[in-house]
Amino acid sequence: MLLRKEDDSPEPNVQTKRPLDPSTAVPLELKTTPGYYPGLHALKQQKFWDAATRKLVFDRVGSTPPIRFFTPAEAATMQAVVDRVLPQDDRTEATRIAILPGIDDRLFSNRIEGYRYEDMPSDQDAYRIAIKAIEAIAQKIHGTSFHNLETMKQEEILQSLHDEKPEAAEALLKAFNLKRFWSMLVSDCCAVYYAHPYAWDEIGFGGPAYPRGYMRLEGGEAEPWEVDEQRYDWLAPEDTISDRPQPTND
Amino acid sequence: MSLFSSEAPLGGPFDHPAKDDGLKHLGPMQRIKAPQRCFNDSDLVDYALVGVGSAGGVLVQRLARAGFKVIGFEAGPFWDTERQWVSDEAGSRNLYWNDLRITGGKDPLALGSNNSGKGVGGGSVHWASFVPRLHPSDFEVYTRDGVGADWPIDYEDIEPYYELLEREMPVAGPAYYPWGKPHGHPYGPHPMGEVGNVLIKGCTALGIPVSAGGPVAILSASHGNRPHCIYRGFCIQGCKVGAKASTLITHVPDALAHGAEIRDNAMVSRIGMGKNGSVNGVHYFDAEGIEHFQRARAVIVCGYALETPRLLFNSACPGHEFGLANSSGTLGKYLMAQAGNVILGRFDNLIRQYKAPPAHALTEEFYETDPKRDFARGFAVQTVGPLPIAFAKQMMTAKGLWGWGLRRAMMDYNHWSPLGLLGEILPWEDNRIEVADGRNGRQEAYDKFGLPVAQVTFSLRDNDKRLIEFGKNKVMDIMRAAGATEVVQEQRYAHLVGGARMSATADTGVCDKFGRTWDVPNLFVMDGSVFPTQGSANPGLTIQALAARTADYLLMQGESIFTSKARDLSNPPCRRDLSPT
Ligand SMILES: Cc1cc2nc3c(=O)[nH]c(=O)nc-3n(C[C@H](O)[C@H](O)[C@H](O)COP(=O)(O)OP(=O)(O)OC[C@H]3O[C@@H](n4cnc5c(N)ncnc54)[C@H](O)[C@@H]3O)c2cc1C
Ligand code: SF4
Repeated sequence: MLLRKEDDSPEPNVQTKRPLDPSTAVPLELKTTPGYYPGLHALKQQKFWDAATRKLVFDRVGSTPPIRFFTPAEAATMQAVVDRVLPQDDRTEATRIAILPGIDDRLFSNRIEGYRYEDMPSDQDAYRIAIKAIEAIAQKIHGTSFHNLETMKQEEILQSLHDEKPEAAEALLKAFNLKRFWSMLVSDCCAVYYAHPYAWDEIGFGGPAYPRGYMRLEGGEAEPWEVDEQRYDWLAPEDTISDRPQPTND
Repeated sequence: MSLFSSEAPLGGPFDHPAKDDGLKHLGPMQRIKAPQRCFNDSDLVDYALVGVGSAGGVLVQRLARAGFKVIGFEAGPFWDTERQWVSDEAGSRNLYWNDLRITGGKDPLALGSNNSGKGVGGGSVHWASFVPRLHPSDFEVYTRDGVGADWPIDYEDIEPYYELLEREMPVAGPAYYPWGKPHGHPYGPHPMGEVGNVLIKGCTALGIPVSAGGPVAILSASHGNRPHCIYRGFCIQGCKVGAKASTLITHVPDALAHGAEIRDNAMVSRIGMGKNGSVNGVHYFDAEGIEHFQRARAVIVCGYALETPRLLFNSACPGHEFGLANSSGTLGKYLMAQAGNVILGRFDNLIRQYKAPPAHALTEEFYETDPKRDFARGFAVQTVGPLPIAFAKQMMTAKGLWGWGLRRAMMDYNHWSPLGLLGEILPWEDNRIEVADGRNGRQEAYDKFGLPVAQVTFSLRDNDKRLIEFGKNKVMDIMRAAGATEVVQEQRYAHLVGGARMSATADTGVCDKFGRTWDVPNLFVMDGSVFPTQGSANPGLTIQALAARTADYLLMQGESIFTSKARDLSNPPCRRDLSPT
């Protein structure tokens, strides 16, 4: 639904894999606000925001840019990729954040971050090469397209990119620095997801704060209009490896 | 009528964009007449400044006050902060220089939002506004430690300008600041956010002195038509409140009031070379992409450590084949960045790192060379305060997270406290800026005007690596001593300076101690690119102080800047009467 459906694009593999209650192993209910701040609702604070910020945030929430950079086939792969990089299976349909259109819009409008690494092609070419590589890997290992694979198999491929040890497509990936692509991919997903007020509610971030400001600076105290933390334990869905600890670089 | 009511605090209701009154709104209360074109291209102005950022903003103000005809060319827009800035992380990206640059070397620097601004105010628009001074030792690193370089000036030369700029911004901080040459600050310190408390707690447990509440160029009490800080934490997104100093609000309005012209959306492409080895103006592209030439009697380049060398390279001409003012061969070399590792600690209690200005507490206890350590020079430890997108990227890098793991870590955003290392990296000849015109046998890249872009090469040397390793571990110790149950870190860099360094002799740098280029008598460089070394203080205060000192030099020299090749290196008197009101 976040994607323009083209006739020739195969049906994406939609699975409802939800986080589990650790004591019962029962999937948790879909949530409008996952995270530990139930009831926090940044958008409800809009009358305390300045006009320029309000317009920007509402434009972001209210309109989804069309897919113009990725071809339909590329978009199908990429949709499956972003669904794993930042899974939203715990969110109700209406509160899922459209990540792919944000990335597509950036690439279509050539909004670069102000630099390119010497050992990288343009951001646009990097995405095209990576999508080809992801498809090649999926075909070689599983004989089918990436978006047809079940979650775990998709994640194994993504983890191999993360670890810089892809099992196929070496030739394609030799053209660039895989580590930098992985960072760009995850950063791009985060830049769209955590720009959204629903994501602010999820992590307990207060959102725009001009002209009102904050009055309770110390002790992690909530403002009168913020919400106290209410933690709960959750397990990632059964068919995922993306919740496991990764080696750190310190 | 009171400006304040519960329905419509600060400057009226928020339902409508600020009314179009033909004025520029700088914060909720400051309104100025929008800049107007005062000069024609054919007019001969005294000074053309390239870039109205940290240094350029101060210079244009001083020169205008002294009665010179001056134009500040600025590649980016002249902001209206009420209408154009937002209280939003993603929405503030256009405050930064996002045009293409190429980055490489063994430790390539992230550029863009990690280094420089575009638009009137330059980097002072998005800086966190930590404003420590350099220490006296910074000016003689080579003499003391046998590494880096000495500055052609001493601490005493710049000290009066530190005092001056600390009043002009003005700076909030402790009444007694113990490091370097001890000094105080004109405004009282800020209250603590919880990240500052983490730093204080960790340092105190380890017996390390800390400075709480500054020095930062953020108002702890209202000042003129600028309200005090409201602790909203969006400093590096631009301060809509106007509590944080930027030259856009502190110096540029005064420059306009004294007859300066700010020509915004004007990208200078080349400096014009006239007769007798003097420059005669600047070529620039206007907002429509049309190229013009503005005549000027002298040119001052204040374009940032990357764009300044780029412009001088792109201005190569007969007699200056390897870049303007590059007879020493040092142009573009000795580029520096500070080690800016972010150390992240998770606490069982809530932190809410998004509150309070990112900059509000620091320690310089490890600043100086310590013979007990295996490296020269030192580092500072400072508070930082990433908003959600920046924090997510740090979790990605520091913990290698993606997928559910990343979502899970982000749900704990409010439990994490960051602290920043600020480490001195020495100036190395190979760390440099070139232009991507293909002449060095590497790739070519051009901007939308067809100008070769800056190509940056950066690699750490052993001293840098040892310093970073030690500093990072020290910050991790502080974090643990404050009670963090998990500590991770991300290696990164901040604050680019160098690339057109000042020197005592013509063969070791691009310009003299006043920024006057050794090769061209009426061409100056004045911004962070003139630093020979950088210490582990954030560079912004020093950049503005040096700019004010150069202004005094220009005033003392008067007409001779335009007419004489003689180089007078005597120090000017400090003009305290030129501060903006
Ligand atoms: C996130 C962040 C936080 C920071 N925090 C701090 C801090 O807390 N304390 C601190 O001291 N420093 C901080 N800095 C660094 C500080 O912002 C810079 O060191 C400082 O602004 C550099 O000043 P400058 O005068 O050299 O250049 P700038 O302030 O960048 O000004 C250069 C100006 O020249 C313009 N320009 C460039 N080329 C051209 C051209 N060809 N034609 C026309 N115009 C041109 C640019 O658009 C720009 O406006 C921070 C930087 C970042 C990125
Ligand atoms: S925290 Fe203070 S200085 Fe920073 S943006 Fe907010 S009001 Fe401005």
